[in-house]
Amino acid sequence: MILSSPFTASGAHHYEMPLSLRSFTSLNRALLSSSSPSSLLLRGSSLVPTMAASSTTTVSSTDAAPQLNQSTPSPPPVQVAKRLEKFKTTIFTQMSSLAIKHNAINLGQGFPNFDGPDFVKDAAIEAIKAGKNQYARGYGVPDLNSAIASRFQKDTGLIVDPEKEVTVTSGCTEAIAATILGLVNPGDEVVLFAPFYDSYEAVLSMAGANIKCITLRPPDFAVPLEQLKSVVSANTKAIMINTPHNPTGKMFTREELEFIAQLCKENDVLVFTDEVYDKLSFEMDHISMASLPGMFYRTVTLNSLGKTFSLTGWKIGWAVAPPHLTWGVRQAHSFLTFATSTPMQFAAATALQTSDSYYEELKRDYLAKKAILVEGLEAVGFVVYPSSGTYFVVVDHTPFGFENDVAFCEHLIEEVGVVAIPTSVFYLNPEEGKNLVRFTFCKDEATLRGAVERMKHKLRKR
Amino acid sequence: MEGKVSRASRKLEASPIQELSQLAQTCGAINLAEGFPDFPAPPHLKAAALSAITADFNQYRHVQGICHLLATQMKGRHGIAVNALSDFVICCGQSEAFAASIFAIVDPGDEVLLFDPAYETYESCILLAGGIPVYVPLSPPDWSFKKDELMKYFTSRTKALVLNSPHNPTGKVFTRDELETISEACKIMECFAITDEVYEYITYDRELHISLASLPGMQERTIITSSLSKTFSVTGWRIGWACAPANIASAIRNIHVKITDSAPAPFQEAALTALQSPPDYYCSLRTEYEARRDYVVQILSVLGFQVRFKPKGSVFIFAELPDHCELSDIEFVKKLIEKAGVAAVPGCGFFHTTPQPQDGEKYQRRYIRFAFCKSGETLSAARQKMEQCVNEDGQLSF
Repeated sequence: MILSSPFTASGAHHYEMPLSLRSFTSLNRALLSSSSPSSLLLRGSSLVPTMAASSTTTVSSTDAAPQLNQSTPSPPPVQVAKRLEKFKTTIFTQMSSLAIKHNAINLGQGFPNFDGPDFVKDAAIEAIKAGKNQYARGYGVPDLNSAIASRFQKDTGLIVDPEKEVTVTSGCTEAIAATILGLVNPGDEVVLFAPFYDSYEAVLSMAGANIKCITLRPPDFAVPLEQLKSVVSANTKAIMINTPHNPTGKMFTREELEFIAQLCKENDVLVFTDEVYDKLSFEMDHISMASLPGMFYRTVTLNSLGKTFSLTGWKIGWAVAPPHLTWGVRQAHSFLTFATSTPMQFAAATALQTSDSYYEELKRDYLAKKAILVEGLEAVGFVVYPSSGTYFVVVDHTPFGFENDVAFCEHLIEEVGVVAIPTSVFYLNPEEGKNLVRFTFCKDEATLRGAVERMKHKLRKR
Repeated sequence: MEGKVSRASRKLEASPIQELSQLAQTCGAINLAEGFPDFPAPPHLKAAALSAITADFNQYRHVQGICHLLATQMKGRHGIAVNALSDFVICCGQSEAFAASIFAIVDPGDEVLLFDPAYETYESCILLAGGIPVYVPLSPPDWSFKKDELMKYFTSRTKALVLNSPHNPTGKVFTRDELETISEACKIMECFAITDEVYEYITYDRELHISLASLPGMQERTIITSSLSKTFSVTGWRIGWACAPANIASAIRNIHVKITDSAPAPFQEAALTALQSPPDYYCSLRTEYEARRDYVVQILSVLGFQVRFKPKGSVFIFAELPDHCELSDIEFVKKLIEKAGVAAVPGCGFFHTTPQPQDGEKYQRRYIRFAFCKSGETLSAARQKMEQCVNEDGQLSF
């Protein structure tokens, strides 16, 4: 049953579904299907007012217009593709409905509650006015490809060909999907590090990959090198890396990257690296795998505009890879979305050409926000793990006496009025994440302070 | 390292449309090849987008209002009652809606029926999902299919049938009769239908677009896909949708969330404005496109093309090469670009079947697709350029 906590059977905190959610359930199972942490909470917010007024019956197609034949055969059995069997579901929607009901402060959603810089928005406005509203070249507007190549060179020292080695996609989410679908065969082994952003596992399942998962553990979420070595072989197709890492904030060190690089070269393995938070690196410098000796030719580097410029809804992402890998990415991309939003691409080119002072200020702002949150969480009594990058922090919630992360998060929403994300959904084996929850600090300072205050007053150790 | 590319993507080839498009660019040719407008998007829409950006609608979003407006339209135009809360998935264009729909229902080994000629992308999505495309030929000159033969193409492995109407490249609009035949077959074989209705508002001669899902017994097995792009001349905004019964929509949404997660936020806001356009807007759209269609049909006829089928919908004319012409479609288009400075698309890329004996062997190399979603100036300039290359009979000749 979709809405029950995976841990209820162990006799822990029993979740009694509120009445409003029960009617929601019977009305629409379809809504409880997305596990993306990024998009759900707004989706929830636009639905609740309507739900309260809705009946409990599902609209059936035979209730419809008179011209439909009333003696039609019953609907076909649900013949959805088998690849969906592995898709995780609804914890996030459950959280989001609860959050709205309790007017909770949302430190769960991984996107800002403040907007992007005016100069980038103005560029998009100019592009729309100037008529740049038709299909862009499939793999990217030339200006943007060039801007991405220039930025990549500044960041890594590598010179890449914007025409042959840069592909623009609808967000990094699509870059990940295109990379995996374009380069991974059914049965290929791919190494993932848990906890992981949820689209990796889902898309790897779509591609029919054989996932080998290595868990990163607190306190420092270091890569267990020997375990990794035991799992990588000549059968390994690719290793997926996310650095700086969502949800832990870990950043892969040079030693870890060199170790992984060595394994890749010895076993002819590809690397797909998701670096969307590269400009939010605080405690150490971000290192791109592609910049290590011999690695450019086997690495796809993925990134996007959204996190760096607080414009997550624009969906501008990209993949940088050598031509023989770019080919696969572009093939898949051209059949996934065909082309990317044109005016936003022009604006993204402007954004990427901005001076380094923008990034310095971004870091300063986020460091200040992080300090508010981290100090607050520590004062409240969480065990706060050091986060070197991203705008996330994971904490151990067990001082508060709840059996698992979902139960804790429900309590946090209902009794304290703050939202965090239970991290168990980011693991293949949820048990491994049950002590951890993720908070985000991509919120304005008033929101962060408000959340900390609520926790200080209402969150009690048991 | 070429071996590193996935088997599925290796089956896919680079688009011939895009290659010739590059040649056209190099030669500075007038582009009647790709199906996007060269005239501005409607001002009220652009204004809505600008407002949305300024008002900070710039983070991940799902704009539920779009679904309500679409639901109202479907009820009003087609008599289809859908649930705005559960039956829609807003995607990055119809492209993504289609890809997500295929991934949601096609397992490796499943067969998917397509009418031939077909827009090249459908097959690629099906292959990427491990499916097997099966083509049902439409016979020239009017692109009809034999009703009693349609069932032959279904097997126990058929998962779905793809219907693009109004049709790219031929401009055909499937008639009620044809839709009834298709629907009977789908019901007997208990398979899905996936429709591509992006040209739904662009029909001519009082021909109406009929949505397959409005036929008896079809709503429960049909996935409708469409978008803002062609109706509102904003092909670069990437706002499209899939509409299906709740359990199927849920599967499509699951896939969509992993592919892109969200369609561009400000343009979702602007879609609210678009979808509330007055009836006048749709009337002028049709009238203006019909005038362009008539103009281009006339020019092409005068230049010697055989336009034996006048398009009833879409923004394309699928014209046959002049009788005397011995060039293949690709050779002809190359000359058209190089000598006349006008670009069009050779039809062969749209055909996937072996020609039937009664249709003759060569017809698949004799069609050229012209797009007329271009300004009057562009179409007029194209005519003038082509007129430079005519022989003493006034026919285009290289």
